[in-house]
Amino acid sequence: MSSEPESVESFRLRARAWIEANLVKTDIPLHQNSDRAYQRELQHKLADAGFAGIAFPVEYGGAGLTLDHQQAFAEESTGYQTPTGFDISQGMLAPTLLEYGSEELKRTHLPPMMRGDSQWIQLLSEPNGGSDLAGVLTRAVRDGDRWIINGAKMWSTGADHADYGMCLVRTNFDVPKHRGLSMIAVPLRHPGVTVEPVVLADRGPIEVCQEFFDDVQVPYGNLVGEEGHGWAVAQALLLYERDATADVGYGCGLGGGTESSRDYGGTFHGIVNAARSYGTSTDPVIRQLIAEAHIDIVVAEQASARLASGQSTGHLKGPWASLLKLGMGIDALRRSEIGITTAASDGVVWDVDSPLADYLTHRWLLGQTIAIAGGTNEMQRNIVSERILGLPREPSTDTDVPFSDVLRRRTKRP
Amino acid sequence: MYLELSDEQSFFHETVRRFLQTEMPMSKVRELSDSDDGVDRAWWREAANLGWCSLLVPAELGGGSLSGRPLQDASIVAEEIGRMVSPGPFVPVNVVVNALSRHPGPHDGVITELVNGNAIATWAFAESASRWSAPELSATAVIDGDSVIVTGHKTYVESATIADHFLVTARGDGGLTQVLVPRDASGMTIAANGAADLVRRFGNVRLDAVRLPRSAIVGEPGGADADVELQLQMSIALHCAETVGVIDRVFEFTVEYAQDRYAFGRPIASYQALKHRIADQLLALESCKSTTEAAIDAIDEESSDADRLISVAKSYVGTKSLPLISEAVQLHGGIGLTWEHDLHVYGRRVALNRAMYGTPEHHRERICQLLGV
Repeated sequence: MSSEPESVESFRLRARAWIEANLVKTDIPLHQNSDRAYQRELQHKLADAGFAGIAFPVEYGGAGLTLDHQQAFAEESTGYQTPTGFDISQGMLAPTLLEYGSEELKRTHLPPMMRGDSQWIQLLSEPNGGSDLAGVLTRAVRDGDRWIINGAKMWSTGADHADYGMCLVRTNFDVPKHRGLSMIAVPLRHPGVTVEPVVLADRGPIEVCQEFFDDVQVPYGNLVGEEGHGWAVAQALLLYERDATADVGYGCGLGGGTESSRDYGGTFHGIVNAARSYGTSTDPVIRQLIAEAHIDIVVAEQASARLASGQSTGHLKGPWASLLKLGMGIDALRRSEIGITTAASDGVVWDVDSPLADYLTHRWLLGQTIAIAGGTNEMQRNIVSERILGLPREPSTDTDVPFSDVLRRRTKRP
Repeated sequence: MYLELSDEQSFFHETVRRFLQTEMPMSKVRELSDSDDGVDRAWWREAANLGWCSLLVPAELGGGSLSGRPLQDASIVAEEIGRMVSPGPFVPVNVVVNALSRHPGPHDGVITELVNGNAIATWAFAESASRWSAPELSATAVIDGDSVIVTGHKTYVESATIADHFLVTARGDGGLTQVLVPRDASGMTIAANGAADLVRRFGNVRLDAVRLPRSAIVGEPGGADADVELQLQMSIALHCAETVGVIDRVFEFTVEYAQDRYAFGRPIASYQALKHRIADQLLALESCKSTTEAAIDAIDEESSDADRLISVAKSYVGTKSLPLISEAVQLHGGIGLTWEHDLHVYGRRVALNRAMYGTPEHHRERICQLLGV
């Protein structure tokens, strides 16, 4: 290849030919947590062909191209089976590491992340708080050339099988809350780290975990970004997360990219199947709801496409992915409600050999996942109104005083 | 709406906006609301001279697209009309002139008059029983030797009281027939409707065995089904673009108002109770823009999905635009309910567009049919 970067169009043709020859056509994306060995094999295949870490520099195991190339690959591979288990590691953590990690961290960790041999997750929320992320209590104390970490994290997706977590910790209690934070890479299979699954309301397969850190020791060099600047790193990480959730930027295409991948487990198909199975598909009211679910899915895709093009041309600047995330949070719940409505009484009491209604109930039980995980709808509304529209913030009382004072004020109700 | 326009489109956009700002400010719209026709013919001729009626007409008939994407060009005008809640029969004239130009020859003279703004045409399609559903129309066009006889009762006909030509959709032999009926044809009765909008006027058109030469037929007798479908798609797409213009403008001044208005010592826009609602409205607005663009592109690209994407856009924009206006009223408080404030002028247009060419409910049912549910 010449030293000129490959044009997106030439890359697209090359990708299309390779995809057609090497990937399996499918309508249903792989489940994020299914068959990890197979997903890794698939990731190796992509990496060997130069289609892993498309927008990452070559020296860190990437293909040295751009996000436009990544988007082209995502478009071309829509409808083909691609790995779905690496979106957090490659779409959120890897770009954060690329932006803030030391040279040594990047050289050591990015290449195996690109191949799917090492997986990273985020360790941000805590049992005591998620939305007020800058209020984290997990602490890290420097002891010579190492950190000693104590505390607890919660709601961490994938901690049961990941290798490393990027952990937001407090390294200084005597400065205002945003200024006393640092980000540290913590190995998860490590003395002092305990990972426990959080069982969700549907009692389904493990998706999120809780972690306890008891005198966990990691090298000082595991610091990502500067000491005391953890808030900026966390902000970057959250931005990458919102991009990945919206299927744009570094996360584009890592969710499996099929028609139904935006539909969170194919609820729309579940709705249509239920309407047919339970005889409600001729009911005019139910038909309105079915169409509503379809419209919301289509419009979310159209909005995502418009946003992606607006951001790549520079016409839309700012955290627009938050707007899409808000839309998803609202739509996913609504769709899950439409699901159980469509099944009528059979959606809540069913024959034991009918898996469909059970499935719709489970979708509804977790229908608010997107509205809470990765920043609640309310946090997205703050971001949208303050950082896209420039509306004034609510006055706050905890930003300009030492965090230790904030903690002292947390007294019992009078 | 479109984030990127070609240089020619941007220049055109600027011209349209400037023309409307100088020639059709809100004070003029309010003035016209007391007139019989809601529009001034001389003003319409000026608009036509700026190219408003030539975008959907091929170059050999005196028109021409700016970009090779004719509906996208036309949506630029529709959106600006929405922002200014301007009058003018923009959608019916363009849809009719496009239909005529797809069958060149007998109506070329009318095309020229429409393009230069000397004549106004409208589309007489809906009926009170079938509303917007083409298969259920009951008007008929019967061939009788060298004549065609049109009978029927059309309603919701835009600009009926001023139109010079009516493209009438009727049942023919083996399919739909479209006939271009002049206003003064014998057997035509036109009666004005009342309408929610201040300046956009409608009428009932009664055709009692209107006899015209066969050459009045547009295309082939019984062969207009595809034309009618395309006319519906174009009308809907342009109406969506217009609604986007309205709600974009309303959102703009509502957000400004919320930042300027103080209560309890700070701007009301700083309260989460309000700014969270504003965020939801931005989501609705951006989604309306996205789905409208996609619908317009689908028509320009002759996508096989165009019918479904049009219904998606019509349903979505119709559903979201109305609450966007009521949220704006709520954020304004009492002043938003007054005649003096312009919010109702915008709201009237949104309510009108929501229902014309099929309600959201109508299009949701259509989506189910298209999905095979």
